[in-house]
Amino acid sequence: MSAHPTQGSPLLDIRGLTVSYPTPQGPAQVVRGVDLAVAPGERVALVGESGSGKSVTARSVLRLDPDARTGGRILLEGEDVLEMTPREVRRVRGARAGLVFQDPLASLNPVKTVGWQITQPLRIRGVGRREARRRAVDLLGRLGVADPDRRFDDHPHQFSGGMRQRVVIAIAVIAEPRLLIADEPTTALDVRVQAQVLELMEDLARERGMAVLLITHDLGIVAGFARRVAVMRHGLIVEEADVDRLYASPSHPYTRSLLDAVPRIGDAPGRRLGAPVPATTEGEAL
Amino acid sequence: MSTTTTPAPARSAGLRALLSRTGGERRGHTTVVDRIALGTAGLMVLLALAGPYLAPLDPYAVNLPAALTPPGAEHWLGTDANGRDILSRILAGGRTTLLATVAVIAAATVIGTVIGTAAALGGRIVDEVLMRICDVGLSLPAIVVALGLAAAMGPSLQSAVIALAATWWPGYARLVRTLVREVRDAEFVESARVLGVSRTRLVLRHVLPNSLSALYVQTTLDVSAVMLVISGLSFVGVGAQVPASEWGAMIAASRDTAVTAWWTVLFPGLAIAITAIAFNLVGDWLRVRTDPTLRTGGRR
Repeated sequence: MSAHPTQGSPLLDIRGLTVSYPTPQGPAQVVRGVDLAVAPGERVALVGESGSGKSVTARSVLRLDPDARTGGRILLEGEDVLEMTPREVRRVRGARAGLVFQDPLASLNPVKTVGWQITQPLRIRGVGRREARRRAVDLLGRLGVADPDRRFDDHPHQFSGGMRQRVVIAIAVIAEPRLLIADEPTTALDVRVQAQVLELMEDLARERGMAVLLITHDLGIVAGFARRVAVMRHGLIVEEADVDRLYASPSHPYTRSLLDAVPRIGDAPGRRLGAPVPATTEGEAL
Repeated sequence: MSTTTTPAPARSAGLRALLSRTGGERRGHTTVVDRIALGTAGLMVLLALAGPYLAPLDPYAVNLPAALTPPGAEHWLGTDANGRDILSRILAGGRTTLLATVAVIAAATVIGTVIGTAAALGGRIVDEVLMRICDVGLSLPAIVVALGLAAAMGPSLQSAVIALAATWWPGYARLVRTLVREVRDAEFVESARVLGVSRTRLVLRHVLPNSLSALYVQTTLDVSAVMLVISGLSFVGVGAQVPASEWGAMIAASRDTAVTAWWTVLFPGLAIAITAIAFNLVGDWLRVRTDPTLRTGGRR
């Protein structure tokens, strides 16, 4: 399933990460000591309910919240992101670690062409217009966009939801980062398109040896994608295990309740989600 | 994008509906009225460029025996009290009026955009200081301040333009600040930041292009307002000076003959009115066209 086994030094190594935000009532502790490692080429899922701190953890890797007070260490290829100057952080963004957001329409600039936006990460790093276009068109075609050369000059509103998310992924990976963080990349899409987009991301990751950290609240989409799953709750990782083991025998009660919340075909009608049921297998989950 | 923050489009939308008299106006389509407005506005721009060369007679040539000739074959729009051909003066004066208007709006737009953007992105203290300055500017009636400034600088069209630009920008600064604040936290701006895009590029390529469509509309709508004020300033004597054929100045100079020779004030007045209406309609047309949510093919 995973082309690159976990060996050697990790690509991303989060150690004892704490994040808090200043509020009038004093600091609000959102992440309370998270340890998480992602090896080169590895696909890891970070799951948890809304407010569990999973997105904040992901955003901290690229230092996206200027208000956040952070502690601990985030080592990306051995360098601590939290210690970097703003200029160094900017060089990490897009080039060494890419990020895909949830809503593919909101992530795209409505007045710029899709091509302009895909080539931007290359253009700001000095790649020529022609070369950037060639690579972008290649990538779009690779992502299953029909007639990419013509669609290159279209605006985001001319794309469907699924196509837009492909564009967003293209933007995130065009500068060939070694780590892609996908923050609920499929939540805004319908189920069929979700599967397609995940599959594309997986193929792309495999081809390029790119590691993926998938943030989601939906355990249903994790099984086919990631090899390792970390479950987060109240700012802590409560369980971390191989996907098969986690699904077969979740050790933490919270993980169990999350798994129970995944609807399955074949359940007795009227079953309450969250009631104890036998664990799923991967195939069903996707 | 909230073009609704500006009251002017609503007003001209009413005008537009009145003129087109089509109950179900189709948004985003160019109607006959739009075409006429666009054509007229285009004609005015052409006039600003080529007007003096189109004038059939010398706009400054005094011909006292022919003074106050009514419109006829020789002088299509008649002559004024000094016997100068009114058609020629309108054609020649268009350049003065329109260029002065464009100069005012361009200057006010640039100043307003810079200050508005700085206020929106510069943090609380910068925002407070700049906006309080704007408040002062907005609380003073533009034409009175412009009148004072222009009088202090010595009455000339140049000082009228400078004075008007100096009083017009706070409105734009306010508008731009609102527009930029709206876009600044948009997810696509964040997404661009995630790609390592620099702050300057974020502002110039991502924030401003998405905020300024309402500003463009506002500027076209303001063309008429500024033109009227410039003509007004010329009318009261602090704008274009006597022999100049600026439209407002022409009306001012013909005050005494307005009752006996209607053509001396009617035609320059019509020129102002037609241009003002045309630019207003163009502004409204632009408003509909540039609203990204109304674009054809949009799937919002």
